[in-house]
Amino acid sequence: MSGAWSVRRTCERMIRSSCRHFPAEVGDDRCREWTAELAAILDDESIRSPVLRALRAFAFCAGIVSTSRQLSRPARAGSRSARNEQWRTGAPRTRPGGMAVRLAVGLAIWLVVAAGFITAMRVLGTGPRPTPWPILLVVPLGIGFDAYCLRDIVRAADVRYLRKWVWALICLAQMPLGGILYLTIGRVGPAQPMTPGTPS
Amino acid sequence: MKLTAPLERVLRVLVADPAAPHYGYDLMKAARLPSGTLYPMLARLQQEGLVDSQWEDQRPDAGGRPPRKYYRLTAEGARVARLELARASAAASGTRNVAAWPAPGTQGSPS
Repeated sequence: MSGAWSVRRTCERMIRSSCRHFPAEVGDDRCREWTAELAAILDDESIRSPVLRALRAFAFCAGIVSTSRQLSRPARAGSRSARNEQWRTGAPRTRPGGMAVRLAVGLAIWLVVAAGFITAMRVLGTGPRPTPWPILLVVPLGIGFDAYCLRDIVRAADVRYLRKWVWALICLAQMPLGGILYLTIGRVGPAQPMTPGTPS
Repeated sequence: MKLTAPLERVLRVLVADPAAPHYGYDLMKAARLPSGTLYPMLARLQQEGLVDSQWEDQRPDAGGRPPRKYYRLTAEGARVARLELARASAAASGTRNVAAWPAPGTQGSPS
């Protein structure tokens, strides 16, 4: 029974997070509607196997994710400028600098970090047998940083230029650099339901 | 309104019983469409005023299940849907009844 329960919970979480694409009251309405549909699927007596029901529920959720993406995006769906327009109106941010500026900032930060790391290794590892403890110090830091970035991506309402999962992949593949690039280029801001004009 | 194949299926389901309320899962099963196709379509139809939605009244005998949202064709929607479906089936039967098709093998190359 706990399996069915966790399927339900996971699906509800997926629906809730995709409803965050909408402005508050629309999102609430959609969320209630889709959660009710989810319950209808999971309690559907005509599908005998619970595994099949769970699969159908997950398929439903995947459709919901793509639906909310489509509906919350303004007219020219998929185009870069349309997506930028969305966070520009949605996120409480000023116009960002160009791509080139952000790329330069990201690279500069990365260079500083890399230089610092190399210096630290030189200073600490001068002996005949370099001690491993700088690595022990740096690796948890890197993992922590990555975890922070991934958490930020997951919680963000939207990210810039690329899809969320692409950013997550970049963060994982390029340990320090990917995360820095994400934070400087891809990050929109803290995840808030998009309600421009209404004071929180 | 461009009548695509999924849209045609949804309209057929809705037109079959215009007064009956349908909820999303119901429509998904009847029209055999995934949710990722159905809901954007419903939203578009609703925006154009062809479909309206309404929350189900919370009944005490519902067994504690959450209230559903029901969709229904508006009067305008029923009119437009019937028109479009009639046009689509006319076009379909029209192409099937073309008498002047060349017999196979008489001219041209098979494609």
